[in-house]
Amino acid sequence: MAFSVDKIKEGKPLDGRIPEGPIEKKWDRRKNELKVVSPNNKRKYTILVVGTGLAGASASAALAELGYNVKTFCIQDSPRRAHSIAAQGGINAAKNYQNDNDSVFRLFYDTIKGGDFRAREGNVYRLAQLSVDIIDQAVAQGVPFAREYGGLLANRSFGGVLVSRTFYARGQTGQQLLLGAYGALMRQVDLGQVEIFPRREMLDLVVIDGKARGIVVRNLITGEIESYVGHAVILASGGYSNVYYLSTNAKNSNATAVWRAYKKGAYFANPSFTQIHPTAIPQSGHYQSKLTLMSESLRNDGRVWVPKKKGDKRPPNQIPEEERDYYLERKYPSFGNLVPRDVASRNAKFMCDAGYGVGEFGRAVYLDFSDAIKRRGIDYIRDKYGNLFEMYEKITGENPYEVPMKIYPAPHYTMGGLWVDYNLMSTIPGLFVLGEANFSDHGANRLGASALMQGLADGYFIIPYTIGDYLASTDLPNVTTEEKEFQESRNAIQEFVKRLLSVKGKKTVMELHIELGELMWDYVGMARNEKGLKLVLEKLPELKKEFWNNINVPGSDKNLNKALEFAGRLYDFIELGELMALDALHRNESCGGHFREEYQTPEGEALRDDEHFSYVAGWEYPGNDEDTPILHKEPLVFENVKPTQRSYK
Amino acid sequence: MGKKVIMALAGLFWFLFLLAHLLGNLTIFAGPDALNGYAHKLEGLKALVIAAELFLALALIFHAMYGIIVWWEKWQARPQKYAMYRSKGKPSYQTTSSRTMLYTGIVIFIFVVIHLLNFKFGRFETTTINGQEVRDLFVLVKEVFHQPGYLIFYEVVMILLGFHLRHAFWSAFQSLGWGNQKYTPMLYKLGVLLAIIIAAGFFTIPIYVYLKY
Amino acid sequence: MSDKNMTLTLRIWRQKDANSKGGFETYTVTDISPDMSFLEMLDVLNDNLTKEGKEPVEFDNDCREGICGMCSLVINGIPHGDQHRTATCQLHMRHFHDGQTITIEPFRAKAFPVVKDLVVDRSAFDRIIAKGGYISVNTGSAQDANNIPISKEAADAAMDSAECIGCGACVAACPNASASLFVSAKISQYTFLPQGQPERYRRVLRMVEQMDAEGFGGCSNHGECEAVCPKGISIANIARMRREYVKASLR
Repeated sequence: MAFSVDKIKEGKPLDGRIPEGPIEKKWDRRKNELKVVSPNNKRKYTILVVGTGLAGASASAALAELGYNVKTFCIQDSPRRAHSIAAQGGINAAKNYQNDNDSVFRLFYDTIKGGDFRAREGNVYRLAQLSVDIIDQAVAQGVPFAREYGGLLANRSFGGVLVSRTFYARGQTGQQLLLGAYGALMRQVDLGQVEIFPRREMLDLVVIDGKARGIVVRNLITGEIESYVGHAVILASGGYSNVYYLSTNAKNSNATAVWRAYKKGAYFANPSFTQIHPTAIPQSGHYQSKLTLMSESLRNDGRVWVPKKKGDKRPPNQIPEEERDYYLERKYPSFGNLVPRDVASRNAKFMCDAGYGVGEFGRAVYLDFSDAIKRRGIDYIRDKYGNLFEMYEKITGENPYEVPMKIYPAPHYTMGGLWVDYNLMSTIPGLFVLGEANFSDHGANRLGASALMQGLADGYFIIPYTIGDYLASTDLPNVTTEEKEFQESRNAIQEFVKRLLSVKGKKTVMELHIELGELMWDYVGMARNEKGLKLVLEKLPELKKEFWNNINVPGSDKNLNKALEFAGRLYDFIELGELMALDALHRNESCGGHFREEYQTPEGEALRDDEHFSYVAGWEYPGNDEDTPILHKEPLVFENVKPTQRSYK
Repeated sequence: MGKKVIMALAGLFWFLFLLAHLLGNLTIFAGPDALNGYAHKLEGLKALVIAAELFLALALIFHAMYGIIVWWEKWQARPQKYAMYRSKGKPSYQTTSSRTMLYTGIVIFIFVVIHLLNFKFGRFETTTINGQEVRDLFVLVKEVFHQPGYLIFYEVVMILLGFHLRHAFWSAFQSLGWGNQKYTPMLYKLGVLLAIIIAAGFFTIPIYVYLKY
Repeated sequence: MSDKNMTLTLRIWRQKDANSKGGFETYTVTDISPDMSFLEMLDVLNDNLTKEGKEPVEFDNDCREGICGMCSLVINGIPHGDQHRTATCQLHMRHFHDGQTITIEPFRAKAFPVVKDLVVDRSAFDRIIAKGGYISVNTGSAQDANNIPISKEAADAAMDSAECIGCGACVAACPNASASLFVSAKISQYTFLPQGQPERYRRVLRMVEQMDAEGFGGCSNHGECEAVCPKGISIANIARMRREYVKASLR
């Protein structure tokens, strides 16, 4: 039975437990209220961390430094490979090193505005405050950020802002920050404070007496179902862009950990808030397995354009200047090519839908560096973007120093995620959610270079304080993996795995995933409408049926079997897709990355409805797969900024 | 890793010795008396020569020992060989030379033993230069190089020596930690040049002797 | 279907698990587009195998954009294939030709045991990093980031070494299966930076000790590692590591 808006029951409103008082004092105030665990008692607690990206690795390291016992799980063969590693452009911090009048308040304001006024003020202000500590911490760890000749740190600009506050390490900022956090984590492994469990996939959260007390994982090498007990569980398992099949995410990125937590009672917030990144390399064929991002930083020097004439098939270099439409500069004179991602993506889609697109399938726009090369010289461009240009040439076989890049939007990041309060705790006590896996800081659209900032703020500077409060104020009796909740979890997983292997149908996991991806991209992608969303809500239950009737999972469950792993993840993605469509359908407004075609300004910009939708939508699992999930609203209160129509003109 | 440092130092010492030895041997082009005179002068520096010889012997032992250890570790480190293996080419320095260091090394070691038996501990004849009685090495040289089997063996070994030295020179500096992106390519080229000079120098002597005398 | 599309013969190493003896199997794939990546070509193979009721070939991969270091494979005798500064995931089929036979093997080294088919265990690298691939600072104790000026040259040099993605191709290509390039890149990064100085000597001694304990071979300066490195990390790092090692040992 399909989900339906008419059947949405509204539950109790959610309380984000945001501290009282002026916004600058909120975090200090909360820190003063938080209980602290004594050093001797810390070693009596075990904390399970799922995921080793920026959030998971930094949390594991920081908690271990404090003396907690940490068990850390990752899906890859090494914690160093988590997908944070692929973040290219940079990390924001309100250091104001450039003397361009940046401040904590300005970063806060930009982030709230960039998120189209759908994020919590308190969280975002704290994020902006902590941003400066992150840079200090990373530099102390030996992260080789770019520098000026004078020896001080260099900055660049990113979309949606008017200051230079982005710190970067060539086009590999995520890699360098992650390796810093990974190093800190491995140091704790050496000291015996952290135990690493690589090639493990979390398949269930174990809740005992209403508190998160453990996880059940599958050992991906032996196929064994393993159980682990902890006093608290931290999920830092990343986002769910792979619901679209084609995305810039890594192949292993998935929603299974958060989805199974949702099914155990954690509310899922704003699932339809997804970010489609404007500058990815366009798809070149049906076989394509992923889309490769070209850093947003390229828009610092690259100019976006399409031919003024529809269907102009001339090579770009033969189209004279006056026949080019630099549509971002035309429509948004003050921000130009540096408008936020949602705006840039949507405009690219509009131009292509209107027939101005370039490339083989007419689904691309040009990103042109010839002016910048003329103005600053080729060496300047090479120094700044050399590795990105190299990557582009490897994939497309074209040289972007000579021919403009062709780019097209691609699913990239999910602002939605498990609902958490100000302390980053979900609706299940003892289950904390960090980084992209939670919904907390980016509202309906994330600004560039803010994901790294949030992951590290959560891991290094928030969770070490807030988790102590939970542990110190909660009665946590000893439990073992033999409790009935653990056994039930293990049995359910074993049955699920057996069922996957037993279907032996005609469609491969990849084929079904492509089907899901196309549905999601067409109807729950860059632009949504009621008709399409309703269609998806009808199609997805059919896809689930097709899945159980026709999936073909080869091999056994006793050893490494990627098809089996991916099949389970695919099923969770289909279910999550339903929730995304429901959320998108119920939100009768446009905001940030959630663009409902019915709700737009005459100029085609997102039209918010603050009167009815200024809230976070937290969805509760109703206890079975058929009933429509229950909606819990967390009202958003704006005391420091006034929600306005976002303008980047 | 300390092993490689000692190996490199020992190798470089031998390299220097070879250069000196070659310069000495080149006196043969000035005639038998020049060679015998040079040998006699060396005799006069007896203490120094013995010290050098002891040091060379010691260096050879360490160099060979560590070479064998590196080779043994290599066999241990990849029990299952590749069915197909290729070098990717530049900037790789992998060559026939670099892959055969142990084998060329063994041949050179055997050669050194035979070479010492032939000359250093060979038949002692005398001749007079400027009224002074000195050892006549030349007559020995002439006799040995007129045996075709030995001549061929000697020349083949000299070619192998060239191969050994081609990888040895830059590699020693790299092992000592003196390589960097700027100098390593130059050192490599210099090494190839020196290897050719040394091998060619030693190579021409027997042919010269064979043809001329 | 384009007329540029290719038919290829694949000779792939299959091995059930770590303890089984492996061997080559030969497969044919058709209609391979030159715009596909190498891994997408293997995806096609695996989909075909699945439909034929056979077990797909397992191979490690994740980000597919050349930065996570998870993909591996020795392609026609060269780790990551014959394109320079390219990881397998960024190798495209336009570099192959119709009718070609491609031999695909796992990275081979005692320290990288095969897990299944083309998948190997590279956790030895993690254990080496645990011995010193970091600067020992606890969270929260850092001073302002601009208090320590670092010259652009030093920061750039550190970055050149820090780019290592930990894929292990250096080990796979090395005739001796040595891990020197990987270890030296990490050591070098911190040698360039003032933050790395307090632990400088302890770091090199501990990391090298662990490297030797993992069963990697010694380095005999073939330089093949630099040629296959997807990031082009220089063997000058190895020279630097030795310098550091000698200095540390003599202290």
